[in-house]
Amino acid sequence: MVALTLANIKMMARNRQAIFWALFFPLMLVVVFGLFEVNGVGSADVVVIDQSEGSNSELLLERFNEIEFLELESDEIGFSEAWDKVADGDLGYLIVIPASFDDPAISSKVNLVYSTRNPDRNQLVDGAVRNLVSEIQSNSGPVVPSELLMADVIEVPEVDYFDNVLLGLLALGIMMNSIISIAVRISTFRNQSILKRLLVTPLPIWKFFAAEITAHVLLALVQAGIILALGVFVFGGHVHGNILWVFAITALGSVVFLNIGFILSAWAKSPAAASGMGNAVAMPMMFLGGAFFSTAALPWVLPEIAQALPLTPMVAALREVAIDSEPIWETWPYLAAMGAWVVVTAVGAIKVFKFG
Amino acid sequence: MIFCAIMEPAVQVENLVKRFGTFTALDGVTFAVERGEVFGILGPNGAGKTTTLEIIESLQKPTEGRVSVLGLDLQSKAAEVKARIGVQLQASAYYDYLNLTEILALLGSFYPNKAAPATLLEQVGLSDKAVNRVAELSGGQKQRFAVAASLVNNPELVVLDEPTTGLDPQARRNLWSLIKEVNQRGVTVVLTTHAMDEAELLCSRLAIMDQGKLLAVDTPRNLINKLEASYAVKLTMDRPMTMAQLEALNGRVEVLQSGEQNDPAAEDQESNIAENTYLLRLANSPSALKSMLDEIAKTGLGLENLQITPVTLEDVFLELTGTELRD
Repeated sequence: MVALTLANIKMMARNRQAIFWALFFPLMLVVVFGLFEVNGVGSADVVVIDQSEGSNSELLLERFNEIEFLELESDEIGFSEAWDKVADGDLGYLIVIPASFDDPAISSKVNLVYSTRNPDRNQLVDGAVRNLVSEIQSNSGPVVPSELLMADVIEVPEVDYFDNVLLGLLALGIMMNSIISIAVRISTFRNQSILKRLLVTPLPIWKFFAAEITAHVLLALVQAGIILALGVFVFGGHVHGNILWVFAITALGSVVFLNIGFILSAWAKSPAAASGMGNAVAMPMMFLGGAFFSTAALPWVLPEIAQALPLTPMVAALREVAIDSEPIWETWPYLAAMGAWVVVTAVGAIKVFKFG
Repeated sequence: MIFCAIMEPAVQVENLVKRFGTFTALDGVTFAVERGEVFGILGPNGAGKTTTLEIIESLQKPTEGRVSVLGLDLQSKAAEVKARIGVQLQASAYYDYLNLTEILALLGSFYPNKAAPATLLEQVGLSDKAVNRVAELSGGQKQRFAVAASLVNNPELVVLDEPTTGLDPQARRNLWSLIKEVNQRGVTVVLTTHAMDEAELLCSRLAIMDQGKLLAVDTPRNLINKLEASYAVKLTMDRPMTMAQLEALNGRVEVLQSGEQNDPAAEDQESNIAENTYLLRLANSPSALKSMLDEIAKTGLGLENLQITPVTLEDVFLELTGTELRD
């Protein structure tokens, strides 16, 4: 047994590619978690429409800026546009400082608009804005706190964090399975000369790829059905939109990740290395693709990088059709991004794939 | 036109050259395989046997030269050739999670003309393993299954790359019988081997290759008959002979050292050589034998044992390459 153990260690040590990727994975996780402020409260994106433009409103804006979790958007947009963005979930909060804010003689309320999407954060933002307004207005005289702020709450279908995460998990499951499964499978086939065996038959190469992709996409659809069923029926999640659109986006996303798997299989010298490489490619997307957290708060150019990853449009499109009940054609920018990824990865796979 | 096509050789290889960078794997190889024969390509590892087969199977493209298979130009009709030939690769595995019947059915589905899996398994004696997986087969059964897999399209030509490598003697003989049966059904067989006995027993004609070159093509008997030496003589003396005494024996002398191991793969040979044993190769003439015995008598040494056997392909190979067959 000792001899066999030593022989195993020797064999593992000689599989350098597998060792590299096995080490790369945990190191990368440390980096990714280091980048997220997982202990923080998260941030709230806010648009402020200042109709007063007086010294008090200027002071209020300054105080807003001092609060870390309030991210003031610099875009100048109108009230109705901002309202719509809040309703659609594209904007967290709208604050309207009334024209009479600087006039102590006139009682006027600051208007805070938000949706019911994030009740915990709403409480936090409501409290913070109310306190700041109270603090500034109390300089001009006695105030009645309940008279300072008017909250407009836009009712949206019940969506909690779990609904968002459920779709993130769905996309994640499809991505992991598609990339790693195909990379390991093809690498195994190559090592066992099964690919070579197929090459001596008259089977056209495109049929081989088509069969692999079709089988894996069908598997992805079954996987999606199981994840959603578990999430909805066991854990009380919600899918408000058309489930067929969810499956259509799942199928498209699966093709992107299968293509990536084909590319990795060409570089991997063993199934173990293919697995490690698959994890190394999938894990950053797991955290940067918006499956669990908003990526807007990431430092440096990471938010832009996150937007360019193939998982990001898939997660966004899934949420639009499942949570916001949008028809699939309304998600066309995300579908176009995924389509571009399909083309790019297919060209890459064709270029690098090898049978022998 | 049809008549002409029938008369075409099963395989025609002309001036085949294959280079991998600066390494020349095949250097101007030319031969033809006639329809209905078992054609063997014999040579040590690295001789170019597998490269030759892989070109015939369209797995590799030749650097130079021309190959036609079943009268079809390989360059322009590769798909048609693939549909009509059967291939067993040197190291090929099959899907882990399919049983034998499912694998044969799957492979057969790639061809326009397919054989029933049950028939194929019966032909190779694996009917009782129809629902087993490849991992559950013995080495010999795996090789028989590989032959069955090469027959899924009822091929006119099968190409077998070292079909008996790694098998025990019993399994090798079983596979030889199977290959002969396949051939008797009218299928042309091209196989590679580095086993002399296999080449001599199975093949109607042989191509001997070494270091990318074709050294000879003929029937095993003709190859042997072309050798100047026709007999191998093994002498065991009571005392060691000097080099001068050995040279005087007038043969091509090879000294087998006392206690030296013979080829461990050849199970029918003695495992040990007695002390003072010498191997000579002699021409096929009574005078050569008489002359040798006269010289032995002159040495004054006692002759303890004398064996005279016809030369084999091993001797042909030694003559052609100047070396023993390397594994």
